[in-house]
Amino acid sequence: MEKTIYKRLKGSQSFRQRLLLSTLSSTPILISEIRDDDMIPGLRPYEISLLRLFETVSDDCSVVINETGTQFKYKPGIIMGGKNLVHNCALSRSIGYYLEPLLVLGLFAKKPLSIRLRGVTNDAGDPSVDTFRSTTLRILTRFGVPKEGLDLKIEARGVAPGGGGEVLLTVPNVQSLTAVQWTDEGMVKRIRGTTFSTRVTRDFEHSMRYAARGIFNNLLPDVHISEDHKAGTQAGKSPGYGISLYAETTTECVISADTAVSYGRTDETGELDAEKEVRLPAEDTGVQIASWLLHEVEKGGVVDSTHQGLLFILCALCQQDVSKVRVGTLSPNGVETLRNIKEFLGVKFGIKPDTETGTVILTCVGSGLINLSRKLS
Amino acid sequence: SKWKEPLKEEGRKKKPNLMQIVYGASGSSDTALMNENRENSDDEESDDEDFFKPKGEQIKKLGGGWDVGYVNSEECSKFVNYGNLKNWKEKEVCESIRDRFTTGDWSTAGLRNK
Repeated sequence: MEKTIYKRLKGSQSFRQRLLLSTLSSTPILISEIRDDDMIPGLRPYEISLLRLFETVSDDCSVVINETGTQFKYKPGIIMGGKNLVHNCALSRSIGYYLEPLLVLGLFAKKPLSIRLRGVTNDAGDPSVDTFRSTTLRILTRFGVPKEGLDLKIEARGVAPGGGGEVLLTVPNVQSLTAVQWTDEGMVKRIRGTTFSTRVTRDFEHSMRYAARGIFNNLLPDVHISEDHKAGTQAGKSPGYGISLYAETTTECVISADTAVSYGRTDETGELDAEKEVRLPAEDTGVQIASWLLHEVEKGGVVDSTHQGLLFILCALCQQDVSKVRVGTLSPNGVETLRNIKEFLGVKFGIKPDTETGTVILTCVGSGLINLSRKLS
Repeated sequence: SKWKEPLKEEGRKKKPNLMQIVYGASGSSDTALMNENRENSDDEESDDEDFFKPKGEQIKKLGGGWDVGYVNSEECSKFVNYGNLKNWKEKEVCESIRDRFTTGDWSTAGLRNK
């Protein structure tokens, strides 16, 4: 057997992206010094859970973690995909955390992916499953991913700390992604969204919708926010409520904003995070998310700040052709993503600020990743 | 020519080069930012009470929203900072983005992509 050469990296930063890009580019990685200064060192349960998810969808990959969890080796295998897969996500991060890399992974799998994810569907830290349905999946179709077979069904909702939500994700395979010229963000023509409540009265939803609507009244009449009150087994294990909104533009761009309110999680030390214990009333939550959505629209760009990372990764994976996209102010995660892309795929973006509109134009030549494992029909 | 040079420099000062911010100035590592952060955390240790604080907690205190480059930062695509949101309930504030909506002036909106 030939000796594996590992790319050496440090720290827990960009854990998901490193795993994803390592798998796509078939680069074995060795990450050391993971939270070695922390009170509780090493990988977190959600990171282990993500590793298990990568193992679930691929064949022949190997993961070796040291005793303290501060170092691990990952050798990517073949992305298999497949039907009837199930994964229980660690509850310390919501399902959105796992979905982000999984979506891209699924595209380059051997067989179409169909997987059930269980855990927290909505929280304040990661994009909600509603945002995935309304916004994230639509970004993929821009790059030539077929709409058929690309879906996320919300079968049950669950909030922190108990979770109990369940979604069914299906992702089709592609041969390669098509480069995009995507710089026209258009004008907002409608605002849509949904509120939800689990194990609490639906009055919370009414307050959120009413408050959010009040913010948009000055700007646009075409606003519709639906409600989704869950009861029984579909409501998960913990009480909570939340709101996900999105703005659609004349050029079919979608800008999103979402959050959820529930009891806080206990952190690794078993103590409640004091900051997160302050829960916002439903009305204020509605105002906050509606305001954030307008803030995102003001920033400009064809995607919101949450989706910058995904956008850049897709551009970098495209066939060897020039992609050009416009985003608002670069988000911290966007900057991290650009660095990781350069590290793993060798793709460097041209980044130019457009001073007149306060936006940023990015151009790159895709790495031309081809899905070799997919069977030709 | 000579007279242009001061002008060029002026222009450079105004617009930070995004390429350099993202990828680091010509090959230098972008970890400078992170090391700075950590050194600061050591300086603040002077109080006796803080003497036996675990390292991680101090970084947590320092690490605001923007902790790009710090080796052990949490990965999160959602970037929210609800603190300094404008008051969108006010009409004038809304008017500032009127042309980003179909209810605004279509000709000015079209100019954005020229």
